[in-house]
Amino acid sequence: MTTLGPLSVRLPSARATRRRASAGVSLPALGLVLPAVALSAIGLLLVWSATRGRPGSTLPERQAVSVGIGLVLMWAVSRIDLRLLRAYVPLFYLLGLAGLVAVLTPLGRTINGSHAWIVLGDGLQFQPSEFAKAATLLALATILGELRDGERRPGAGAVLLALVVAAVPVGLIALQPDHGTALVFLVLTFGMIAVSGAPKRWFAAFAAAGAAGVLLVWRLDLIRPYQLQRLMVLADPDADPMGMGYNATQSRIAIGSGGLLGKGLFHGEQTAGHFVPEQHTDFIFTVAGEELGFVGGACVILLMLALLWRGLWIAARSPSPFGTVLAGGVVCWLAFQTFVNVGMTMGLLPVAGLPLPFVSYGGSATISSLAAVGLLAAVNRRTRTPRIGQSRRGA
Amino acid sequence: MLRLGNPVRRLRAAMLVMAIVLSLFAGRLVQLQGLDSKVLQAKAVQQRVQPEILPARRGAITDAEGHELAVTVEAREVYVDPKDVDPAKRELVATTLARELNKPKQDIDAALAKVTQRYIPLARDVEPLRAKRIMGFKLRGVGTKETYRRLYPGKSLAGGLLGFTGVDGRGLEGLESAYNDVLAGRDGKQSIELGANRQRIPMTRSQREAPVPGRDVRLTIDRDLQWAAEQTLARRVNDTGARSGSVIVMDVLTGRILAMANAPQADLNDWQSAPAEDRANRAVSEIFEPGSTNKVITAAAAMEAGVVTPDTVFRVPDHIQCADRQLKDAHPHAPESMTFTGVLAESSNVGTIMAAEKISSQRLYDMFRSFGFGASSGSRVPGEQDGLLPRWETWSGSQRCTIAYGQGISVTALQMASVYQTIANGGVRVTPTIVAGTTDAHGAFVPAPAAKGTRVISETTARSIALMLEAAVGHEGTGEEASIEGYRVAGKTGTAMRYDEKCAGYCGYTATFVGFAPADQPRLMALAVIQDPKKDHYGGAVAAPVFKDVMTFALKNRKIPPTGTKAPAMVLRPAG
Repeated sequence: MTTLGPLSVRLPSARATRRRASAGVSLPALGLVLPAVALSAIGLLLVWSATRGRPGSTLPERQAVSVGIGLVLMWAVSRIDLRLLRAYVPLFYLLGLAGLVAVLTPLGRTINGSHAWIVLGDGLQFQPSEFAKAATLLALATILGELRDGERRPGAGAVLLALVVAAVPVGLIALQPDHGTALVFLVLTFGMIAVSGAPKRWFAAFAAAGAAGVLLVWRLDLIRPYQLQRLMVLADPDADPMGMGYNATQSRIAIGSGGLLGKGLFHGEQTAGHFVPEQHTDFIFTVAGEELGFVGGACVILLMLALLWRGLWIAARSPSPFGTVLAGGVVCWLAFQTFVNVGMTMGLLPVAGLPLPFVSYGGSATISSLAAVGLLAAVNRRTRTPRIGQSRRGA
Repeated sequence: MLRLGNPVRRLRAAMLVMAIVLSLFAGRLVQLQGLDSKVLQAKAVQQRVQPEILPARRGAITDAEGHELAVTVEAREVYVDPKDVDPAKRELVATTLARELNKPKQDIDAALAKVTQRYIPLARDVEPLRAKRIMGFKLRGVGTKETYRRLYPGKSLAGGLLGFTGVDGRGLEGLESAYNDVLAGRDGKQSIELGANRQRIPMTRSQREAPVPGRDVRLTIDRDLQWAAEQTLARRVNDTGARSGSVIVMDVLTGRILAMANAPQADLNDWQSAPAEDRANRAVSEIFEPGSTNKVITAAAAMEAGVVTPDTVFRVPDHIQCADRQLKDAHPHAPESMTFTGVLAESSNVGTIMAAEKISSQRLYDMFRSFGFGASSGSRVPGEQDGLLPRWETWSGSQRCTIAYGQGISVTALQMASVYQTIANGGVRVTPTIVAGTTDAHGAFVPAPAAKGTRVISETTARSIALMLEAAVGHEGTGEEASIEGYRVAGKTGTAMRYDEKCAGYCGYTATFVGFAPADQPRLMALAVIQDPKKDHYGGAVAAPVFKDVMTFALKNRKIPPTGTKAPAMVLRPAG
C-alpha cells in the first residue's frame, strides 16, 4: 500500500506528459480552449435566441459557420511554430494595412453607421480591422519581443517603432470612423509596451499625451454631440429613455428582468420582442442576462476571466519575450473588449460599438478572437513546464 | 532596476485589474438582477403587455315578430401609427385615406403630423369591405381593428322609442339607454405581449377573457303597423302644418303597445344632425292638456257615483258661470235639452261641467288617479313623464270645472291611451307594456311577465261609456270622421287649448282622437294627437282621420273581423 501510493500519484502525471507530447494539447491549453469553446457555444445559442422570430434569418447558421472556421483556425494557429510565423509578420502587417486602405476605397461598405466592411459577394463580408488587429499584434510583438543580445527590455527605438507601427492602422481605422476599434488598438499597444518591460517614463509620456489629446479634442470641439450625449446618458439613463437613453434603458430592463435564474433560453420576452437594438451583436450580453439570469451572466464573466487568467499565465511563463508580449497583447485585446462591452450593456460605461469576444454575432470578430486564442496556445506550446521554473529562477 | 520593468509583475498587476473590473461587473449584476430586478421586471411588463378591450356584440332590438329594428353589424376602425408612416409617403397615405374614408385631407394630415404618437383612430364604423380595400393599398402605419357598428334598418322607424347609441356603443336615449345593461353584454379583455416593432411576441401567453354578447330585446311593437302609423301621422302633421304628433296603438286585452309613432322623427343612423326634440319619444315625453277626451273620466266618476246615467237629461246652455269665469261650449247654441250621451257625443263642455257638479272634487280627483293620471303608466317606456295633476284641495273654483273637460291638467298621450284601453277592456286597466321579453344567454326567448290588470270602474259603467263613445263617432257626434266602414268604432275627439311656454300662455290647439274597435268587443285602441295644427284645429277634423287610417290598417293587420252587430240607437236629445 505504501509503495503503491506514490506510484499511483506519479502515474497520471507521467501519462499527462506523454499525452501532451504526442497530441500537442497541454492542460494549460485546455484551460484556454475550453472557455473559448464554451463561450462560443453560449454565444451561438444566444445569437439564435436573439434572432428568432425574424423571418428568413440565417444569422445563427452564419455564426455557426464562423465559429467552425474560427475553431479550425485556432487549432491551425496553435500548431504553428512561432519562429516561422515571425518571418511572415511584415507580410501580415502589410496585408492588414491593405485591407484597411481598401475599406476607404469604393470597396468599403457602411453597416450600422461604421464604414468598416468589405463586401465580397452575396452575404459574404468581412471587417479588415479585425484581421489588422491580429496583424498589428504580431508586428508589435515582433518589435517589442525581439530583443537584441544583452537587452532585457526594448529600447527607445523599439518603442518608438512600435508606436509608429500601431499609429498607421489606428489612423486608418479612425478614418472609417470606428473609434471603438481604434481604442482597442491603442490599449493593445499600450498593454504590449507595458508587458515588454519598457521603462515607466514611457507611461508618464503616454499619460501626458493622452491628457493633451483629450484637451485638444475638447478645445477644438472635435467631440460630436452624440458622443457627449452618450456620456450624459450614462450619468442619467432615464433622462431620455426613448431617445439617446433607449439602448441603455432597454439593456438594463432586459438584464434586470432575468433575475437570479433567468427566464430560460429562448424564453426571454424582452429578447423575443426585440426591445434591445443590436441585441445579437453588441448587446448580446443582455440575452444572457434575461434568459440565463444572474447565474448565466456570471458564468459568461467567469469563463472570460478563466480564459484571460490562463492567457496571463501563459504570458508569464513564456520562455521568450516575444511570447510574453504576444500573449499579453492578446489578453489586453480580449480583456478590453470584454470590459467595454459588458460595462456598456450594464450601463457602467458609455455605449461604444465593440462586440463581446466569442459571444457576439460577427464573422470577422469571432474568427479573429478564436485565432487569437490559437496564438495563446501556440505561445504555450513553446513553454515546457520544467523550464518555467528554471526561467523564473534564472530571472 | 530590474524589478521596475519585470513583465511578470506587470502581468500580475494586470491580473489584479481584471479581477477588480470583473468583480465590479458581478456586483452590477447583483444590483440589476437582484436588488432592482422587480422594478425592472415591472418596467418590462409595462412596455410589453398591451391590454386590449374585446368589444361585446350588442343585442338587437326587434319587433314582436323578430324583425330587427336596431342591429349591430361588424365594422372596422381605421387608425394610423404616425411614427410608422414613412415620411416620404405621408402625402400618399393622406390622400388615399382622405379619399377612402371620405374625410377632409387636412384632418388626416394633422393626425399624421403627430409623429410621436403610435395610435390615432381616424374612423370607426368603416364597412369591412372598405377596410379591406384600404389595407389592400399596403400603406405602412395604417391599420384596422375589429369593432361593431349600430345600425337602424328602419332609419327613423320607432326612432324616439328606440333611442340610439353613442360612439362608445352605449345607449344614450330611449330603449337603447333604458335596456343598455341587457343589450350591451360584457366586453372581453385580452392582454397580448407586443415587441418593440408592435408585433405580437411569439410564444408569449395571452390572457383572454371572451366578451359576453348582449341579449336581444323584443318589443311588443309590430313593425308594419308602426310603419303605417308613422306614415299616416307624418303626412297628417305635414298637411295640417302642425308642429308634431303622436300615435299609439294598443292591444286592449293585454296592454301591449303595438305602435308608438311620433312625427317628425330623426333618422337614427344620423341622430347627431337632428334637433333634440325630434329624437324624443313624444308619445310619453310630451305632456299636454287633453281637452274633451278627458270627459270620459268625468262621466265615469259621475256614473260610478250613481248620480248620472247615459239617459240623464241636462238642460244645457252654451255657457256657464263657474266661480270667476264664464265657460263656453265650442259653438254658440240656444239652451237645449241633451241626454248625457248627447253631452259626450257632441262634446258639450257646459253639459260635462253640469255632470261634474253632481260629484265632489275629491271623487273626480280619485277617478283621475285610478285611471293613471299624475303618475307614470308603469309601461317602462323610457322618458315617460308623470303629467300634471294638481291635488283636488288646490283646485281653484274655475279649475274644478275646466278639469272636468280636460283643461288645467296635463297628461301624456300614453296616459290618455291607457284611459281608453281601460274603458274598452270593460273597466280593467292593464299596465301598458312595450317590451315583450328578452333572450337569455343561449338565445332563447324569455317573455316578460304578463302585465297586471286593475279594475278601475265597473264593467257596466265601462260598457255604457263605450256605447256613448260609439255615439260620438256616429252621424251626430264630433268624431264621425273616425268611423270605419263595416266596423263599430267608439271614440272621442279632443280639441284643447295648448299651453306653450314660448308664448307664456295658450297659443294654438291640441287636436286629439282616441277610440277603440270593435266597439262592442274591443280588441284594439288607438290614439292620435296632433300638436298645434295650423289648418283647422278640431280633433274631429285633424286627428280623427289619422285614427281611422291607422285603426283600419291595424284591424286588417291583426286580422280582426267586424263583429257584424249593429250599434243600438242612442238618444242624444230627449224626444220632443
